[in-house]
Amino acid sequence: MEVTLLIEATDSAFKILEDARGHAVGILDTTVQLMSEETRCFEEKACQALFTGAQKRKSQFQNAVGTAVILFAFWALLSGKFDLFHLTLGAICSALAGYLFHDLLFVNVRVGDVRTVAWRFIKYIPWLLHQILLANVHVASLALSPKMPINPQVLTFKTKLETDISNVTLANSITLTPGTITMDIRDGVFYVHALSQKVADDLNAGEMEDRVAHIFMEADHLYVQDVLDAARIYGSLRI
Amino acid sequence: MIRESDDVIIKTLARVLMPFIVVYALYVVMHGHHSPGGGFQGGVILAAGFVLLVISHGLEQTRRRMSEKMAGAISSVGVFIYGGIGVLCLILGGNYLDYGKLSKILGVNSADARSLGILGVEIGVALAVMAVMCTIFFAIFTVGETDEDEGSEK
Repeated sequence: MEVTLLIEATDSAFKILEDARGHAVGILDTTVQLMSEETRCFEEKACQALFTGAQKRKSQFQNAVGTAVILFAFWALLSGKFDLFHLTLGAICSALAGYLFHDLLFVNVRVGDVRTVAWRFIKYIPWLLHQILLANVHVASLALSPKMPINPQVLTFKTKLETDISNVTLANSITLTPGTITMDIRDGVFYVHALSQKVADDLNAGEMEDRVAHIFMEADHLYVQDVLDAARIYGSLRI
Repeated sequence: MIRESDDVIIKTLARVLMPFIVVYALYVVMHGHHSPGGGFQGGVILAAGFVLLVISHGLEQTRRRMSEKMAGAISSVGVFIYGGIGVLCLILGGNYLDYGKLSKILGVNSADARSLGILGVEIGVALAVMAVMCTIFFAIFTVGETDEDEGSEK
């Protein structure tokens, strides 16, 4: 009788031990799994932080250098003296201003695009001067003709431009060409005052808007998110 | 408290013009011997650049670039540069602000040393004037406002 009790007690003890062993193995499995996931997350986040941080630093450096170059050209334009002392002073001053104000000039430009955008902007200026010349001739002919066929109207149109610098470039280009003045940009809608029907038709045709979008590489019929993803890879390949 | 302007044209053009204003101010400072300008004029133009940022982007955003504390520090640095150059000339054996004695450490002849000494004090003057102008502007335009500390104490 005591032997049976003993055997039963040993049996239940073994069962308890087996259950405990099963539980312990389960706990160990979960621990290993959680730790490996945590390490993987941590490594992924560290890699991503490194990549984003590197991209941000690279874009800051490119913006600072671009700003310093433009400011040095401005200094050379202002100061007519090109001896070594004054040029060195100019280099120091423009480098300092570029370092301090690097986030002012190129805000919405993607990494790697600064040179393209700057070159396209320089190529846009002669076309703009030609348009100003044509508009000048047109407004002068309107003002000098005896019956003065003006048709002043306020146009409203939505643009396809996304960033504020391209909106401001378009607004300033419209205001610079005689016959049109940009009154306001509110919620992405331009309010433009035009002098005559011909000028209003030129504006509605949208050639200036297309050219400004071409400068800043916007709205060229691609999905914006795909372009941004491609630009990130493009930026990393150029490292 | 000056609020941020809600016109995108004004904000964008002000932030694009700011580096050019700063470089123009530095050009005015550095060419004081050759064209109208010098330290005070350049300092005022620098301060005008920051005032442009304040009236277009609001006081809070410009405080991140030039806070009152930094303005105080920069004004002290400017005065220190001016007085420091004067005392340096004293140390080198001349009178106060006798720039000719700077040729001993700069290695140029006496006339060039005087020119460089004047340039140095003009830079100090420009920094001090910019900082004091910014301080005056911020003080005038934040008159009558309570800080958040005073508000939470009440």
